[in-house]
Amino acid sequence: MTRMAATLRGAAPFAALVLVWALVTRAGLVPPLFLPPPGDVARAAWEMARDGSLWVNTLASLGRVLLGLAAGVPLAVALGVVVGLNRRLAPVVEPVIGFFNALSGIAWLPLAITWFGLGWWSVTFIMFNTIFFLVFFNTLVGVRTVPRIFEHAVRTMGGSRRHVILQVLIPGALPSIVTGIRMSIGFGWRAVIAAEMIATSTGLGFLIFNAANFHQSDAILVGIAVIGVLWLLTDRLVLQPLERRTIERWGLVSTAP
Amino acid sequence: MPPKIALRGLRHEYVNPFTRERVLALDGLDLEVGAGEFLTVVGPSGCGKSTLLGILAGLIPPTRGAVLVDGRAVTGPGRDRGVVFQEFAILPWRTVERNIAHGLEIQGVPRAERAATVRRFVELVGLTGFERKYPHELSGGMRQRVAVARTLAANPEVMLMDEPFASVDAQTRITLQEELNAIAQATGKTILFVTHNVEEAVFLGDRCCVLSRRPGRVKALVRVDIPRARRTWTLFTSDPSFGATKDHVLRLVREEVGGEESRP
Amino acid sequence: MTPRVETAALGLGVLGAALGAWSLAAATLPLPDYYLPPPTAVLGALTDLTAKGILPTYVARSLERILLAAVTGLLVGVPIGLVLGMSGRVSQFCYPLLNFFQSVSGIAWLPLMLVWFGFGERTILVAVNYTVLFPLIFNTLLGVRSVPRLYVNALRTMGAPRWRIVTDVLVPGALPGIATGLRLGLAYGWRALIAAEMLVGAQGLGYMIFNAQSFHQTARIMLGMGMIGVLWVVLDYFLLRPLEDATIARWGLVQR
Repeated sequence: MTRMAATLRGAAPFAALVLVWALVTRAGLVPPLFLPPPGDVARAAWEMARDGSLWVNTLASLGRVLLGLAAGVPLAVALGVVVGLNRRLAPVVEPVIGFFNALSGIAWLPLAITWFGLGWWSVTFIMFNTIFFLVFFNTLVGVRTVPRIFEHAVRTMGGSRRHVILQVLIPGALPSIVTGIRMSIGFGWRAVIAAEMIATSTGLGFLIFNAANFHQSDAILVGIAVIGVLWLLTDRLVLQPLERRTIERWGLVSTAP
Repeated sequence: MPPKIALRGLRHEYVNPFTRERVLALDGLDLEVGAGEFLTVVGPSGCGKSTLLGILAGLIPPTRGAVLVDGRAVTGPGRDRGVVFQEFAILPWRTVERNIAHGLEIQGVPRAERAATVRRFVELVGLTGFERKYPHELSGGMRQRVAVARTLAANPEVMLMDEPFASVDAQTRITLQEELNAIAQATGKTILFVTHNVEEAVFLGDRCCVLSRRPGRVKALVRVDIPRARRTWTLFTSDPSFGATKDHVLRLVREEVGGEESRP
Repeated sequence: MTPRVETAALGLGVLGAALGAWSLAAATLPLPDYYLPPPTAVLGALTDLTAKGILPTYVARSLERILLAAVTGLLVGVPIGLVLGMSGRVSQFCYPLLNFFQSVSGIAWLPLMLVWFGFGERTILVAVNYTVLFPLIFNTLLGVRSVPRLYVNALRTMGAPRWRIVTDVLVPGALPGIATGLRLGLAYGWRALIAAEMLVGAQGLGYMIFNAQSFHQTARIMLGMGMIGVLWVVLDYFLLRPLEDATIARWGLVQR
């Protein structure tokens, strides 16, 4: 199927959704305060694009996500590998990180506010710790669950510990790591939006929460649409190709939870 | 008396929905199978053996041609034609005994009778002691026995078997073949057995149907004149007429594989 | 020493060292008291709030909400996912929509819910139920689509009617997908719940830690965070794993 056809195929359900939406509002089934018609939402989007509020807030949210990623991923992978390689330490650390994993994200916000005050530091910290714990955990588990036989293979060819680490353990852990990154972005986005509602005055989360205070349902829907689109774009344009180029190409399957 | 199974002018074409490519799998195939007959079907890879079986099973509607069972046209799958699939179609979430009982459940057989029948077939295929196991706890050969037992227990008039022993190790295969032989004798069912293994085809079949290479047509029907009661593997490897039949069929198949001189 | 004992000993050692370092930092760092209360303060908060009945109430409220969402998600989401999954065309059509609605978490809908219902219990419940529902629908659908056609054909050749194919093949076959959906839905849902409780200010762990922040009761914050983590482990251990063990692990469909 051609690219064009595939894109149209993907867009058709949304077109249908918008159509149903328009019909429902036209028929007056729902008060416009609750569900503004598509036209109003489009107009609000245009306004917000024009006065810049759409861009400022989108970029603010994106910025926090990217910053959290940039800080969290390298650190988490590095630590995960180091701890994972240590056969004594790994079984001890694993449940601890697993626990913090369960705790990551928005639950840290009050503590973050205590330490950093309101503002983008706290929000970025939330993103950071969501990424950090999940990727750390997945890296750790990934390194530990690489089948021993690969290590034996390299060893029996005269490979040193360094060879084993670089040529077996890290590539072997990669599916876990990539899955971890993918999942943590999912959790992280959500945490950032939530944190922005509470702790700052910029960002998409703030935008929609603020709009609620003024009963601007159309602005809320614009925000929601942007959030959804951004996530889909991230997934489609960044994460899936990433997975495809690493895990799928090598025919590997993730062993991470 | 109409034959149990009759295929007339069977033609089947596959169309790839994306590339619009057309592949003719079967072209003008005519075949008749008598009641109680054990017919094996052999041929080179891609000759349409599995397509043939799928059409008979009612899972594939043929592009053209008549498919008759007991004189009536086949319109879809049904319990009169039981299928043993190549790829272990037993359900992973049912135990051995529940898998074997499945056909009976569907038929609404009461529980007590079901249990008795299942017990009988578990014993028949040599799986006593494994009734409560799940498929993933069994070896390949054992899973295939469950599949055979399931179809047998459901008691269809016709059994269609699609390379059922292909993914099983050589030792187990021989055992399963001998068991199947005994079952065929005891039950007198009409069996159509597809395989790419010529020895298996000759060992099991009353008649051996050799298909041509794609598009598949009946190239030859070779009768195997050894009485079923006498068929064992030791006989197969020692009896000269068994051996001759096997060589004959092998030569026919290799002609279809093409390009190779058949060595004596 | 056996490896097990050695790991346990090492674990205790690490734990002790961590607690020791924490207490030391709390005592010596030149920061206001409320930045880093010592472990003893957290313990004190635990006993204090439990005695006052506040902690048990808040824990119960949060648990109630997430369990309600789990039950609703299963009772509503799984049938919808099953029905949608049975048709290839419908599945293909719904896939992008479900993907979209799943990625817009319930929290993003919270502001709209505030407009509809105001600051109340219903707002929280709608947000959390939504968050749990969509991963369940989506993954159930994927689960149904992933059932090998072979099994369906096997039943057809035994003369099974359509409803039997659904109960005997499609539902059990979709269970791994349903399990994934439940796990994912609850993971997202639990976090959405905490966030919703912070925003809407109803009784619950999220509210507890958020409220504690305004009074600089950092020990309470840490206590609440600990409870949040513990409760997730509890949910995993007592709800999700038994479900998975009783079904898909038993059938060899998931390696543990």
